[in-house]
Amino acid sequence: MITFSGITKRYGGTAAVSDLSFTVDRGETLGLLGQNGAGKTTALSIMTGYLAPSAGRVTIGGHDLMAEPRQAKRLLGYLPEVPPLYDEMTVRAALRFACELKLVVAADIPGHVAEIAEKTGLRDMLGRRVGNLSKGYRQRVGLAQALCGDPEVLVLDEPTSGLDPRQTAEFRQTLRQLAQGRTVVFSSHILSEVQALCSRVIILHHGRVVCDQNLKALQSAEGLRLRAEIRGDKKRLLPALRELPGVRSVTALPDTAPGVCSVLLDCLQPPEKALFDLLCGLHMPLIRLQEAQSSLEEIFLRLTAEG
Amino acid sequence: MLAIYKRELQSYFFTASAYVFMGVFLALGSVFYAVGNLAAQSSDLLGFLWNMGYLWMLLTPILTMHTYAGERKSRTDQLLFTSPVSLTGIVAGKFLAGATVLLGAVALTGVYVLVTAVYGRVYPGEALCGYLGFVLQGCAFLAIDQLISARCRAPVTAAVWSLGVNLALWLLDVLSSAVSLSFVSRVLGAVSLYMRAAPFQEGQLSLANALYFLAVIGLMQFLTVRTLDARRWSE
Repeated sequence: MITFSGITKRYGGTAAVSDLSFTVDRGETLGLLGQNGAGKTTALSIMTGYLAPSAGRVTIGGHDLMAEPRQAKRLLGYLPEVPPLYDEMTVRAALRFACELKLVVAADIPGHVAEIAEKTGLRDMLGRRVGNLSKGYRQRVGLAQALCGDPEVLVLDEPTSGLDPRQTAEFRQTLRQLAQGRTVVFSSHILSEVQALCSRVIILHHGRVVCDQNLKALQSAEGLRLRAEIRGDKKRLLPALRELPGVRSVTALPDTAPGVCSVLLDCLQPPEKALFDLLCGLHMPLIRLQEAQSSLEEIFLRLTAEG
Repeated sequence: MLAIYKRELQSYFFTASAYVFMGVFLALGSVFYAVGNLAAQSSDLLGFLWNMGYLWMLLTPILTMHTYAGERKSRTDQLLFTSPVSLTGIVAGKFLAGATVLLGAVALTGVYVLVTAVYGRVYPGEALCGYLGFVLQGCAFLAIDQLISARCRAPVTAAVWSLGVNLALWLLDVLSSAVSLSFVSRVLGAVSLYMRAAPFQEGQLSLANALYFLAVIGLMQFLTVRTLDARRWSE
């Protein structure tokens, strides 16, 4: 649905993004991660045609963004980091204007505006002036504008930045519903948000792609980590665990209760049977065993570490 | 383009821009008319329009300061430039909206024509020629100031630059009659927006000067499109 081929954007001698190449499939939700200044906003601005690349080519739905901007932009809905809102307009007028810009047939506009307002929770706000709305509602109006024309591709730049926790939760819920049947690309530096919403993640660092993987594959490539709570003597338990086949390392964690050892097992393969046999032999009951996945935060910090 | 035109026109009236522009325009126009026509008991509408022509350089920045610089400052330009509307459509829509407000203000001066017609004599052909030149001159200033707005990041900066450039254009007019070198004087006179309006204010329907104003408007619109497009590469 979206292809980025060798995209570079230079400002004088400095490259904001360098040789970015990736594709986003139809229906995929892609998270663009990176520290501040990593090139996320520049990449999204190029993706939506707001900025032109110094080199490279972008296509949206098979249409080259430079050669066929009209066709390509009809497929796009964009919510920038600061929602582009005219404060003097009412919400209804703002959505009508966005529909007209997206070339929605005039007769369909009232129905379309009502539908979008319903989806984004703005039904009761249609008559209010945009300038009088709270930050959360302004963000919703920005999202509603992006949805005008029912675009196949939604591009969102840090959509929850500046929202309070409740607004963030509500906004994510709305996003999750709207992502159904659409291709969604959004940038964030909130890792839990990417984990919650995305199927795939691209990590940018100094304007370059340092990681482009399916989120589940990325986490499983990091290996399987199990957290186990076992009742027994730690001095006997730890050496025995280290001898288990498939276990790379064992880390003792603070005990959760008197006599209960808590350990973190870094494994190459699931060791459940061997572990169970071992603990039976040691007469040490297993209280709890749970997967402790390598968090995106760890992966992110490692990939974007300086030096 | 129609969507841009409608929104821009609404914006002039939702904010204070159109009211300030029209208010000052009519207030100063009333002074010119009271002094030049009522007090002098003169039916000379062309002289009144000639004097009114000097208002453009002071007032068009009010209409243009927010046109592009305001959109850039509030980041609403992102909505426009990522939409399927072409840059030419955006520029044309914004120009036509500004020209509509300008024409609205000019139309309100029709009251002076009516008063003159009641108490004196109005020659329709002569008055129409005068108004044509007056409107073309105003639209040329509008197009120039919109180009300046497209080059600025903040509305106040755009207003100050527009005022400066408009005053410089007026100085060209002053210089053309002050310099002794006839070639330089002729060149300055040829590009002066005031000298080009003069034949209209003498009651002549001057096709060459009308085309000159249209060419200035067209060139400024073209340069505005190029300026906005260049920003995508440089920002």
